[in-house]
Amino acid sequence: MNYVVLACTGLDKPEGSVAREVAILLAEEAGAAIVCPVVLNRTPARYKKALAEDRLIVVDGCATRCASKLAAAAQAKPVQKVLISGVVKAAGRALDPELRLGADALELARKIADDIKATGAAASKEALGAGQAPAEAEFESPSDFTVVVHEKYEFRIPLSGYFFNANDVWVQVAGTRARVGISDYMQQRLTDITYVDPPEIGTTVEQFGEVGTVESTKANFEVVSPVSGTVVRINEAVDDAPESINEDPYGAWIAELELSAWEEDRALLVDGRTYAADVERKAAED
Amino acid sequence: MREDRGKVLVIPCSGIGKVHGLLSRESAYLVTDELAPDETDVVCLALLVREDEETLAKVRVNPCITIDGCGKACAQKNVEIAGGQVASAVQVAKILTKHRDSQPGTGSELTEEGWAISREIAEAVAEEASRVSAGQEVA
Repeated sequence: MNYVVLACTGLDKPEGSVAREVAILLAEEAGAAIVCPVVLNRTPARYKKALAEDRLIVVDGCATRCASKLAAAAQAKPVQKVLISGVVKAAGRALDPELRLGADALELARKIADDIKATGAAASKEALGAGQAPAEAEFESPSDFTVVVHEKYEFRIPLSGYFFNANDVWVQVAGTRARVGISDYMQQRLTDITYVDPPEIGTTVEQFGEVGTVESTKANFEVVSPVSGTVVRINEAVDDAPESINEDPYGAWIAELELSAWEEDRALLVDGRTYAADVERKAAED
Repeated sequence: MREDRGKVLVIPCSGIGKVHGLLSRESAYLVTDELAPDETDVVCLALLVREDEETLAKVRVNPCITIDGCGKACAQKNVEIAGGQVASAVQVAKILTKHRDSQPGTGSELTEEGWAISREIAEAVAEEASRVSAGQEVA
């Protein structure tokens, strides 16, 4: 299976220039075919076969995430996404504002391309699919809720099977796996959710580290992971229909992780009943 | 209406992977960074096609010069679709026909010849931008 790479063409930010450089490196060294985002937007049929058959890597420059959004609009399913501004931030670096890349930025692009080749080469769409994951039935749908009522709002909270952190992110555990998503209270605060940027498969996440972002018409929300582990699966249904989080916040999980320290992580989470009290307090303070 | 206008917007093709796209991009940078930085600004075409509101607003108010790599003319067409005014449209492929024996480089790197062609394009665009900026009739 071949690679195709859809990168931000960033003409006005150095992060975009790095994204473009990464795409070129992948094309030159890994034989990736490049998808032009503008042509994709105008004539998606041109890339239909490649996007259906090959492994798509999306490289965004900044948080605007043009490449990711164009991929979503074309109903393309990336096996890997990279956000250059996020990589820069995580590395504690700063890019020179020059749009023509200097030695540091070129070195960064080289490292990112090498990382993509190393992690992406091991993954295929099949490997990332259901074959690796526990059966759906192991993550049972919640059936027992408590409801916090505040003014005209009602916030539903499952009383069993779910744990919460202070950032309004839930976790549901099945064996050594866990799914994370955002609570009913948070989805109502965010209002209409328009975009979900899940973490990359293979990413190692620490408890309280970022495990994706959610964008709504009102705000951007960083999904703070309630658990530590390795991302093994993302919910493509949520990627395709972000509004499903508004409709079913406890079913519309964002990422699935292989847990690495559940017992320790659990000590810093609260159950549904305690979270309900927290929501009541938060709603009153809003 | 000139008082409503800001800089002339230079909008290169987003082409990645071919020398035409790289020539387009580098020419735009030469204009906005070196030849006419006070009169011009670069706009990201991907933001425009994503209908970024700020970018749409800029394109609709300011005159635009597009630099396309090939005959698909993505930059020109998308500016027009967005409701922008294309004051001048340049196509690198057409310019390269005047340099049939040259080796301008690859999608990732320009040769000396490529840089010379890029500068030739940029000088023409900067001249056009000055005319547009001064409110003269566009050729």
